[in-house]
Amino acid sequence: MQHWLTPSNFNKLALVVLALAATSILAACSPEHPQSTFGYGGPVARDQGDLFILIFWIAVAVFIVVEGAIIYAAIRYRRRDDKIPKQVHGNTKLEITWTVLPSIVIAAIAVPTIIGIWEQQRGAPTDMGDVLEVEAIGHRWWFEFRYPNQEVVTANEMHIPVGRPVNVQLASQDVIHSFWVPKLAGKIDMVPLNDNLLWFIAEEPGVYDGQCAEFCGIAHAHMRFRVIAHTEEGFQQWVAGMRTPPVAFESGSPEQQGQTLFATHCKTCHTDDSWRQDAYSLEIQQQDSRWATWLDDIENSRIVSAPNMTHYGDRLFLGAGIKENSRENLIKWINDPNDIKIGTSMQAHAAVYQERDDNKINLSSQEVENIADYLLGLVPGDIEQLAAPQITGGTPEERGEQLFVSIGCNACHSLDADTTIVGPSLIGIADRAGTRTSLSAEDYMRQSINDPAAFIVDGFTNSMVVPKLPASQVDDLIAYISTLK
Amino acid sequence: MQTTHPGVGSEPISMRFPRIFPRPKSDYGIWSWISTVDHKRIGTLYAVTSFLWFLVGGIEALIMRLQLSQADNTLVDPELFNQLFTMHGTTMVFLVVMPLSAAFFNWLVPLQIGARDVAFPRLNALSYWIFLFGSLFLNFSWFVGDAPNGGWFGYAPNSHLAFNPTHGMTYWVIGLNILGIASIAAGLNFIVTILNMRAPGMTLTKMPVFTWMTFVTSVLIVLALPVLTVALIQLQVDRLYGTHFYNTAAGGDPVLWQHVFWLFGHPEVYILILPAMGIVSEILPVFSRKPLFGYTFLVFAGVAIGFMGWFVWSHHMFTVGLGPAANSAFAISTMAIAIPTGVKIFNWIGTMWGGSVRFSTAMLFAISFIAMFTIGGLSGVMHASVPTDAQQQDTYFVVAHFHYVLFGGAIMAIFGGIYFWWPKATGYMLSEGWGKANWLLMLIGFNLQFAPQHWLGLDGMPRRVFTYAENMGWENTNMYASAGGFLMAFGVLLFLINVFYSARKRVPAGDDPWDGRTLEWSIASPPPHYNFEKIPNVEHRDDWWFTKHPELIAEYYHDEHEGELRAPSGAQFDDDVEDEHHDEHTSDHHGDDDHGHGIHLPDMSYYPFILALGLTIVGAGLMTIIPVIIIGVVILLWGLIGWSMEPVNDPVPEGASHGH
Repeated sequence: MQHWLTPSNFNKLALVVLALAATSILAACSPEHPQSTFGYGGPVARDQGDLFILIFWIAVAVFIVVEGAIIYAAIRYRRRDDKIPKQVHGNTKLEITWTVLPSIVIAAIAVPTIIGIWEQQRGAPTDMGDVLEVEAIGHRWWFEFRYPNQEVVTANEMHIPVGRPVNVQLASQDVIHSFWVPKLAGKIDMVPLNDNLLWFIAEEPGVYDGQCAEFCGIAHAHMRFRVIAHTEEGFQQWVAGMRTPPVAFESGSPEQQGQTLFATHCKTCHTDDSWRQDAYSLEIQQQDSRWATWLDDIENSRIVSAPNMTHYGDRLFLGAGIKENSRENLIKWINDPNDIKIGTSMQAHAAVYQERDDNKINLSSQEVENIADYLLGLVPGDIEQLAAPQITGGTPEERGEQLFVSIGCNACHSLDADTTIVGPSLIGIADRAGTRTSLSAEDYMRQSINDPAAFIVDGFTNSMVVPKLPASQVDDLIAYISTLK
Repeated sequence: MQTTHPGVGSEPISMRFPRIFPRPKSDYGIWSWISTVDHKRIGTLYAVTSFLWFLVGGIEALIMRLQLSQADNTLVDPELFNQLFTMHGTTMVFLVVMPLSAAFFNWLVPLQIGARDVAFPRLNALSYWIFLFGSLFLNFSWFVGDAPNGGWFGYAPNSHLAFNPTHGMTYWVIGLNILGIASIAAGLNFIVTILNMRAPGMTLTKMPVFTWMTFVTSVLIVLALPVLTVALIQLQVDRLYGTHFYNTAAGGDPVLWQHVFWLFGHPEVYILILPAMGIVSEILPVFSRKPLFGYTFLVFAGVAIGFMGWFVWSHHMFTVGLGPAANSAFAISTMAIAIPTGVKIFNWIGTMWGGSVRFSTAMLFAISFIAMFTIGGLSGVMHASVPTDAQQQDTYFVVAHFHYVLFGGAIMAIFGGIYFWWPKATGYMLSEGWGKANWLLMLIGFNLQFAPQHWLGLDGMPRRVFTYAENMGWENTNMYASAGGFLMAFGVLLFLINVFYSARKRVPAGDDPWDGRTLEWSIASPPPHYNFEKIPNVEHRDDWWFTKHPELIAEYYHDEHEGELRAPSGAQFDDDVEDEHHDEHTSDHHGDDDHGHGIHLPDMSYYPFILALGLTIVGAGLMTIIPVIIIGVVILLWGLIGWSMEPVNDPVPEGASHGH
């Protein structure tokens, strides 16, 4: 009679089962997965992972000893006859041994643990590069990111440079959240009234997935975010972009109509112009007052804390990192956020949703599309594209004037002595320029165009973006600027 | 004799308080269960009730596993999911593992120490009824659609009214406070019982390990539950009356809630696991036919765990930002607690080593307990390492960890205990065939469900998420876990089948089917209501075993000094005490040798039931319905006064024998 399960068959079967199990385990542990704690993106996650691996192998050794002993004892001493075994009550030496041995193993784990704690929980080290300070604030159910030194505010996508320590100050206004980007660092909670610090370094540019890890209510599972690591240059460009006004919309275009609708229905809670001078402190004040307004009358408030929408068109995701930021998704989202993400405060409070019984938006589909087009059109005025336009003919002053408009200098520098847009007004600059530094007026202007960071006028921050201009065009610009009286 | 104390028996005070119902006398029918004060019947009530809640909590888990088996699943909505995991955790901790352990305490402690009941039988009944009503109150919230939804840990301020305006968390705080009263009363009862009612000769070092662990657990319950009560009352008045304990807008500190909750919560973990350790410590020696290896070390390790359990609570808060100094201290204390736990594991293996191991279902469960609990312990050491924990905290890795401890540990041991003591409690055997199938399916299903969850956590899947996106790479692993869950549920179903099958077959067990070692095996199965005709005189650990095998005594005490010491016996049984004082509540008196005639046990009483009912109605009324509070207070006072004025035993009618 042919048995299907012979010993040799059994061995093969066991091998197949083992191989399957091993592959599925390895697949499950794949560091490529977006939130794998083994996909080290920087030194903090790597140290934490290495410590885990160390403890893991110690645990494996203990596991083999203990489980082996259980199985051995069970099989070796299985009941074979009715004899009563020797009635041993214990063995003091043996018992002391297995008290002391685990103590030694524990000590071996404790030492690197304590070292790790003190390395990771005292803020970013200052000897590993220029520290970037970011404030992350947890809200139900999205993340706000503030860059106090760059005066930039954004939401759900945190931009950082590679190779520099990022010091994240964690806070929350409502309930407890937790800031976790597994590939960069283990989590730290965002606790109301108890600010925390977390630091990490991203070694490679890329997009790192993060997620709230502390249960915070109905949309906890949908409270995600991304950390986008750029090269240093790319990061500076992003910062500059965030301080640059968006491209202008043509009058009467869908975007421009969307802008008006947004201003009417959305702007009380969603700021969309934090590129402006002084917008940073204003936004912080506004978020505080939105929060206070909501708290004051939770049921009837029409105002809630809401994500900053400055240059929303550059975002990769919507709804706190849960869907791709496409036009289609955005229109769906604006129509009925609940359909994508349950529990948004927007739908629960904003008048434009509360006006309807089904809590969908009280706007026509055309209007919704216009708002979507407006939001997606919010991108920093792209100076690179306009770089070095071919301008010929005329005097240097005339060419300079054309250049001044075409590369967008006028977006930030007003030509009215009493108006400040982002940068200083340039009226009378020729008189002031020579007095600012030891350079002559012309050299100072040249330096400011080529390297805006070299000297910053008091009361301003550097967010100026200038395309690479040929020297002749710089001369034209200087010629023009010098005429501004 | 008991009823003729001055001022109690001769003058029937109770008659002055009008009785609405006559005092029940019958041993049969529903009223006999409602008014029972017999520790064995109360144990059975605990067991049946908490097993039903085990099924409810299991169904809650299965629904969650179904929801998580696929990415972006829409089977249950997020609010329901939050209610499910909140109630699954609350149910399994407070309505299953604690009361199932209490079922074992009730059934076994008096039998193991040679007593006829617990110290306060009516208080014992009160504990059960409060537990029952409290658990019904908590689950009543399902029917009004407002089940608790803030997690079993109820973190403020997410549990605060501003962020959680439905009634769910109010049910939760009031329900848990009601249950807390039951636990504290039971804890006190068992402390007094174990300290005072041991049979003559049963010194603390001769006490069965299960009784020892019951004692340690009871101390923990009495000390830990009030801490929870404080936190719950604070949250309750915050929610109901607008105080600011945890109102962050008014400066209330949410970290305070975490400290108070986990100061209760960590000892609670040992409240859940120590009874299981006690059960295993009884099963292993019996089926290895060998005394427990290193009794003293093992008991001491249990006490040490109970003590050290108070100094580790902040390891639940390593990511809260307590600072490196606090985190270092709690990392070390947490790692240190692994040492006595390790001692226990090695001693259990030492018990099997050199023995004659019989693989009964109970033994298979007990061995699985050691094996699974070890895994849970090892992952526990991983969380103790703060930098490692930063990646694991609030992920499925932690879910895997504590299920290895609480299911692989506590529940496996409890199932082992059920198979082990079932014949004693019922007089007939559970089928070993069905039992082994039950064990195998549960073990495989459990590991298939929870082993992959380690990977899920390391792969970045947070806990308490109602769904996840499909590109996260978690789908297959979740699928295995869900399949495991259903396999496990099938295993539990086999247990139920076994219960019905065996109840029909009724294979008689005899008094001592396993060749047991402790006193409960020396009496009939099921035990008579008075347990022991003659209170035994205890001379040894495992006294019954050495009574059966006196030739082994010398071998056991070989090279142990302790056995030669004449340690003093339990306090109550010193001869001079015996003649002067009597325990009015129990009439348990050691040294009776009248073969069951005239053994006095307390009469049945309705009042614990009434008092518990009143208390629960007051709790329900606290949800701001004043008339309900008044009704509750009236019922509560009725129970309280009736109880106070009711004699333990009604006066014996004229002409009847007075017992002695």
